[in-house]
Amino acid sequence: MMKKSDNEFARQTKVLFDESVDGLDAATLSTLNQARQRALATTRHTSVLRWVPAAGVAAATLVAVMVILPGPTEVEVMPTSMTDMEILLGEDSIEMLEDLEFYSWIDMADESDGVT
Amino acid sequence: MHVESASFAVSWANEPSTGTRALRQEQQLNRFLADVERRALRIAEISVRDRDDALDLVQDAMIKLCRSYGERPSDEWTPLFYRILQNGVRDWHRRQAVRNRIMVWFGRGRSDEDDYDVVAGAPDPIGRSPDEELTNNEAMDSLERAVADLPARQREAFMLRTFEGLDVAGTALAMGCSEGSVKTHYSRAIHTLRKKLEEHGPDGAGDEDDEEI
Repeated sequence: MMKKSDNEFARQTKVLFDESVDGLDAATLSTLNQARQRALATTRHTSVLRWVPAAGVAAATLVAVMVILPGPTEVEVMPTSMTDMEILLGEDSIEMLEDLEFYSWIDMADESDGVT
Repeated sequence: MHVESASFAVSWANEPSTGTRALRQEQQLNRFLADVERRALRIAEISVRDRDDALDLVQDAMIKLCRSYGERPSDEWTPLFYRILQNGVRDWHRRQAVRNRIMVWFGRGRSDEDDYDVVAGAPDPIGRSPDEELTNNEAMDSLERAVADLPARQREAFMLRTFEGLDVAGTALAMGCSEGSVKTHYSRAIHTLRKKLEEHGPDGAGDEDDEEI
């Protein structure tokens, strides 16, 4: 529990302290000001440095993409198996496409006859 | 849903740019440090009894605050700043203790106060009469010596509470201890100082009319 005179003592010491603060000489105040400016400059430096890792990662990624991925190249023609070619080029297949209605009728006729 | 989206869009549009925010933060830090730096210097000076070392400690504390805690809410800056400063003061005392031990080995032990020039450390006059200035300087010097002689934690609690005007919670944060510890350290400091300074202290604060409040 604080006593009234303790508070009064603290108040008086505070008055003395404040007077000593107000009486700081000009050279000391100048040094303090310079110290503050140096400290604030580190904030600027830090805020710039904050982007350095991100910029570095972006640049490294860009370089990696340019190095790893090749430029535009000619598309290789893959050898196609002869079976596929025969199907594509066979005349029967094309004829079948032309008679789709006929094959559809055969299919319906088979279903109605119970042929699966 | 649309209302939320719209309000988000508005708040996003009103959000200051990174550059503007950084500038505003730097201005706030500048104001804070300009306000606190002189008291911090005197507090550090009373703790280490050397103005140059105190200036170094205050500058280190400023730099660390700006670098590590500048983005914290500004109402946290005062206790954080003093926590950094008090850590610096403790490290300074540790280094001094080691240095003194080494110097004792070479037969050149010294106390912290051997080369502390009270006159050089005294503040310039601020419009007071010479008698008044002398009296106050003597009183302040007695107070400084008494505060410097306190145990470290009592000294910290007393200076943060009385000189810087931090409340119990802020002092506890700055000292890294509980509020109960702050009250105990502060109370002991006040009683020790009153006992030491009852004849030389400010206006000879006595025990008469003690009244619990």
